[in-house]
Parts: sequence; C-alpha cells; structure tokens
Amino acid sequence: MALTRRGFLKACGASVAALGVGAKFAPPALEPGTRSVPKSPQKTNGVLIDTTKCVGCKQCQIACQKSKNLPADPKQVTLCAVSPSVVELRNISADPAKPEIKPIKRQCMNCVEPSCVSACTVGALQKTPEGPVIYDSNRCIGCRYCMYACPFGVPTFEWEKQFSLISKCDQCAERTQAGKLPACVEACPAKALTYGDRKELLTIANQRIYDGKGKYVEHIYGENEIGGTTMLYLASVPFEKLGFPTLPNEAPAEINATIMHSTPTVALGMAMALSGMYWLIRRRDELEAQPAYNHNEEGGH
Amino acid sequence: MVPQELIDGWLVTLMMGARIVFPILLVMTLGYWLQRKLQRADGSSVLTPNRRVMPLWYRRIMGELNALPAWLPTIGVLTAVGVTAMIFRLWVGLGASTNLNQAYPWGLWIGFDLFMVAFSGGAFTLATLVYVLQMHRFHAAIRPTVLTGLLGYTSVLVILLMDLGRWDRFYHFVIFPNINSALFEVSWCILLYTTVLITEFSPVIMQRFGWHRAMKIMQKITIPIVITGATLSTLHQSSLGTLFVIMTERLHPLWYTPLIPALFFVTSLAAGLAMVVAGATVSYWVFKRSLPQRLVGDLASFLPWILGIYLVLKFGELLGTGEIGLVWSSGYYSVLFITEILLTAVIPIAWFMSKTARASRMLSLVGAGIVLSGIFLNRFNAAWFALKPVEGYTYFPSIPEILIQMGVICGIIFVYTLVGHYLPLFEGTTKRGEEEEKRLAEPAPAPEAIQPGKAYHTS
Ligand code: SF4
Ligand code: SF4
Ligand code: SF4
Repeated sequence: MALTRRGFLKACGASVAALGVGAKFAPPALEPGTRSVPKSPQKTNGVLIDTTKCVGCKQCQIACQKSKNLPADPKQVTLCAVSPSVVELRNISADPAKPEIKPIKRQCMNCVEPSCVSACTVGALQKTPEGPVIYDSNRCIGCRYCMYACPFGVPTFEWEKQFSLISKCDQCAERTQAGKLPACVEACPAKALTYGDRKELLTIANQRIYDGKGKYVEHIYGENEIGGTTMLYLASVPFEKLGFPTLPNEAPAEINATIMHSTPTVALGMAMALSGMYWLIRRRDELEAQPAYNHNEEGGH
Repeated sequence: MVPQELIDGWLVTLMMGARIVFPILLVMTLGYWLQRKLQRADGSSVLTPNRRVMPLWYRRIMGELNALPAWLPTIGVLTAVGVTAMIFRLWVGLGASTNLNQAYPWGLWIGFDLFMVAFSGGAFTLATLVYVLQMHRFHAAIRPTVLTGLLGYTSVLVILLMDLGRWDRFYHFVIFPNINSALFEVSWCILLYTTVLITEFSPVIMQRFGWHRAMKIMQKITIPIVITGATLSTLHQSSLGTLFVIMTERLHPLWYTPLIPALFFVTSLAAGLAMVVAGATVSYWVFKRSLPQRLVGDLASFLPWILGIYLVLKFGELLGTGEIGLVWSSGYYSVLFITEILLTAVIPIAWFMSKTARASRMLSLVGAGIVLSGIFLNRFNAAWFALKPVEGYTYFPSIPEILIQMGVICGIIFVYTLVGHYLPLFEGTTKRGEEEEKRLAEPAPAPEAIQPGKAYHTS
C-alpha cells in the first residue's frame, strides 16, 4: 500500500475538489500529538477518569441523575435517556468460569472537535470554549443525526415519549460555570475522577503511567482520538478490551467541514457552468439558423 | 474456490432478503386479493356503485371514478391505511411505533428518502438536457417526469416529518442554521427544490384552466428556474452522501469514503435517467401515451457513460485506499457490495450498450429496473445494511413503519394517476397504436405552452 489512509483522505479531498463536488482546500496536515491541543487555545477543561481506581459504586451515576433532575437509578448499565452517565460492568476475561469484572464509567467524551456538533441540523449541540459540549433542548428537532455522527454512540433518544428529544452528558456545564465541580467528580468516593485543565490532566496522566511502572497501559485514551476528547481515560488493560473503539487521530468533523464549506463554490460553479452552456448552445443554434447568403450579403456591404 | 466467508455472506443475505421479500409479497397478495374482491364482472370497482336510485351528483362523481383505472380504489385504500398509521405514529411517538433504537436510529424511512431523492433526480437531469443543453426532442417527457419528481420530493418531506422526534418543530432548520451540517443543507435544498418543481409543474395547471398570461410569464423564467433547480439538485444529491462522511466509524469501509458525495451525485444522474426510461414505458401501458421508443433509447444511451464514471470513481477509491481486498473478504458485506455493483453498473452498462435493448420497450424497462434496484440497494446499504453491527442491537422495520412506507408510495401512484387523468400531462407524447413510424421520422413536437421563446397560441 503506497498511500496511508490519511494521505488518501487528502488525495480524495483534492480530487473531490477537482470534480466540483467537494473540497475547496485540502485539509490541513494532521500530526498526531499536536491534535490534542484544542482549536481554542484558551484553557479547556476536562475530566480524567482513572478506571484502575474505580470501585464500581455507581455514586457518579446517581449524582449525575440527581443533578439532571432524573430519578436515581443505579440499575442502568447502558447510556439512555434517563442515565447520561453509567458505570458499565465489563467482563474482560475470556474464560467464562473465571469472570473478571471491570467497572467503566461511560458518558459523552465532550470531544475537542465533536462530530455531533458538526452534524446537528439546527445547531442544538454546541462546543463551548471551556470544554463542555452542550445541548439546547429548545432547538433540537429530534432528527437523531447526532446519534450516528458520534463515534462513541453517545447521544441517546427518549424513545418512549410522544415528543422525543436527545440527552447526553454536558460535563455539567452549568455547575462548572458556577465554579462547582461536575456532579460525578464531586460524588466519586474513590477519587477516580479528576476535573481540571486538560493539559494539566494529560501531565497528571503521564505522571501516573510513569509512576505506575507497568500498572497502566501506555495510552491515554482521548488524548488524540478523533482530534482529542476532554474526557480522558487511564486503564490497566488495552482499551479495545474495555469496549473503547479504536479511532484514528483525524477528526471526522474536519473532513466534513472541508466538504461542507465548499458548498458555495460548488453552487456558483454549477450555476455558471449551466448558464454558460445554455448561452453557448443557443448562440451556436442561432448562428446555424442564419442562412449562409446572409453572411455573404453582409460581407458585400 | 469460493471463500467460506462469501458463502456465509450469501446465507445471511438470503435470510435478510427473505425477511424483506416476504412481507412485500404478503402485502402484494393482500392487495391483489382486495382488488379482486372489490371488482365487479365488468372490471369496475364495487366502491363505485352506479345505482339509479342515487342522486345525480353522486352518480356523476361515481361515473368519473368508473372512468379511472379499476385498481385505483385499492391504491387509495392502501394510502388511507398509511395515513392512519401516520396518525398512530404521531400519536404514540417513535419508540412505540417503530423498531428504531439506540444503534439504529435511522432505518427504512431514511433509506427510502435517500433512494427517492435519487429516483426523483430524473426531473433535474431531464430539465437540464432539454432546456440547458437544448435537446428539445425530449421535451414531451418533461411534464410526467417533473410530476414524478414533485411527488417523490413531497413523499420525502412527509417521511422526514414522520422521522422527527419533535416534528412540531420542523421549521427549526429554517431559523437555526448550522452550516456544517449536511442534513441542514439537504433540508434547505429539498425545500427550495420542491418549490422549483412546483413552479416547473405549474404550466400544466395554468394550461388546464387557460391562464395564458401566467403561462407567458412562466416561459420567460423557465431557463433561470431550470438552472436554479439543477444547481440545488447538485447540492443536495451530493450532500445526501455528505451525511455519511461524518459516520467514519459506523459505515463499512467498502462504502465509506470522503468521495461519497461525488458517488451519490453521479448515481443520482443514473437513477434519474433510469426513472425517465422506466416511466416512459409504464405510462405507455397505463396511460397509453409515451415518448417514441427511439427517444427513450437515446436517453438510455447516456446510462453506460454515467455508470462507467461511477465504476471508475468507486474502484479508483478502493484501489487508492488499498481496500480493494475487502471486496472478497468481508463475507456478508462482500455479497452486498458485489450484488450492488453488478446491479448498479456492470449489468446495466452491458445491457444498454446493446442496440436491441435500447430499441425495445420491454428490454429498456427491465434495464432501467436493474439500474434502479442497484441504486436502491446502494442507498439502503449506506443507511442500513452496511452499517457495522453494534453489540446487542438489531433493526428490522416495524409494521407501522412498513405501512407508512407503503401508504406513501401508494399515495404517489394515486395522485399521479389522477393528475394523468385530469390534467394535460402527456402533451406531445405519442399515443399508443398511433402511427408510431410516422412520428419517428420527426421528433415529437414539444408542448408549445412551455417551450421557451415561442408565443403560446390559444387553440
Ligand atoms: S462523544 Fe459523541 S456526543 Fe459527546 S461530544 Fe463527542 S461526538 Fe459529541
Ligand atoms: S437529534 Fe437534536 S441534537 Fe441531535 S442532531 Fe438532531 S436536532 Fe441536533
Ligand atoms: S459531568 Fe455531569 S453530566 Fe457528565 S457524567 Fe458527570 S455528572 Fe453527569
């Protein structure tokens, strides 16, 4: 294979542009590592989730539900409309006789370049510079495009209602704005959750991996995945085993934006090409329709 | 040797196919039975009694109805069933009426929308050929095609409304724009383009009621309207593909590519032309009016070119990413993909390169049917079949979903038949049995009413 996937994406962008149905400019070079610095250079906050410290008590899940005025329901194990945060109990042992359960807290990753924000038809999902990806339930039309766009399958839908909306974790945007900790972070008795500046969290995470001397896998999940997330994970086993998708470093939101931003160019190009063709063909027909002697006569005068 | 994976793939596909084909067959059998039940010996429907005792106005209406095709009441009943299912869906919400779920938030309806928009692409393709490229010989097909497009888009809007969790807020996409969202662009373009189609269709109504002044104005603005329509179509036909660009993780790599907007656009041209070709034949049978077959063949001869471009793009992309191996090694997905490519491009290219196929109404219809089924599969693959599975979730449409879908399709047929019966839809087309040979010598005259640059004569 001569081309890498990333190289190919760029090549595609260029050829789509040549076709007139795509990119106006090729996407900028994406270097892993540099992508974890968010587009907004200001302070971006996040939460570091150390799965090795988690004891599976589900206090975060209950605190989250309470903070969202939802009934406390620790039984939920998959994200759903009544539980924007869950603690999944995952069996990572291949041997059915000896199950090995790992509790994993799951919620929206509050991505640095969120796909859901790109996708949302009406802009009900928005990225705030402080970090959270917030949701405006007064705008949402319930089209569910965000559910497909999200690479983590996070946004959930209120299927049971007559008029249904989306729900997801918003990193407690209102609480953090008021200077409080996210409800789940505050509730965690095992100190598995740390809230703070994303860069500092990455430093802390690296320090823990270093100090742990093999306790952790050398991977901070969310550092680079699809352009980085503000919810970061540490774990003692490879993340695929814990049900985390293996993702590229490019943000799909960027490929999408490149194509979407070429819309005016395509529209203008198409309209002009069609008008030009119409004019040319009409002119040709007019000239052909003129009898030849007309030209001679005119030439004679 | 055929790889084991491929064989397994076939089995899975066959089973999946059976689950889809069975209900369809069931509904068709039911419809046929209903029609037989409703039919009298002379072929008229029981729903249209013609008793002397009835008042005059009633007999008049019923007389009208009896002049319509006998299967129309059946179609009407199925439409009504669909409308009832829609009310049910709006009343109970999405969870109770559909099988959509967390991992498959879109299903049958979105697949249908994607296909229907491509299918209705015939309206802009043909309008561009006739008005922009000035191939006036195809003019007679404009009206039926524009009507099909208009009904197609209307059905898409209806289904989209059904699909919204907050359908009462459908207007939000107008007042809360998100320029990065493909779905936002698609909604806007579809809305605007439906307006364009209404404008393009309006001369038929104006002619029926003799509004000649209005028609004259229409002639003057035809060209800009057609160009606007074609531009809008380019945008949304490709943006429907852009919908999937963000779904990097969900769509199988055989389908996922940032080129998908271009692929959607090219296939929409093919689907559109195939729709015109198929429509010409169907209207030849149902309304006994159509384009001369020579012109239908002319239209069909564009298909191998367009589909050739599609094949080059599709396989160029697979070769470029080195994903070409997946064509054989992905089991179920391989089967879907190979079937799709055969139906969409390989078979139709060979088919329509043959003069015999292009000269025969029957063979053209079958060929166009193959193209359409391929593109149908393509759209459903992107929206449903070729999504990577998510642990613990499956999707198969619920009965209300299928009934609504069927109702909408029957609604299209119902309205189309009525319009074909009452409005001057087939002007300039050849009557079945009319000396077709004589007509063949010269291209069918365009309906004068909407030919640009000519005055309209009242006669
Ligand atoms: S995890 Fe999904 S829902 Fe959350 S911000 Fe990222 S894309 Fe959006
Ligand atoms: S369901 Fe709501 S939040 Fe999600 S994309 Fe649609 S409008 Fe946006
Ligand atoms: S940050 Fe807030 S909304 Fe998100 S999981 Fe924690 S408590 Fe719930």
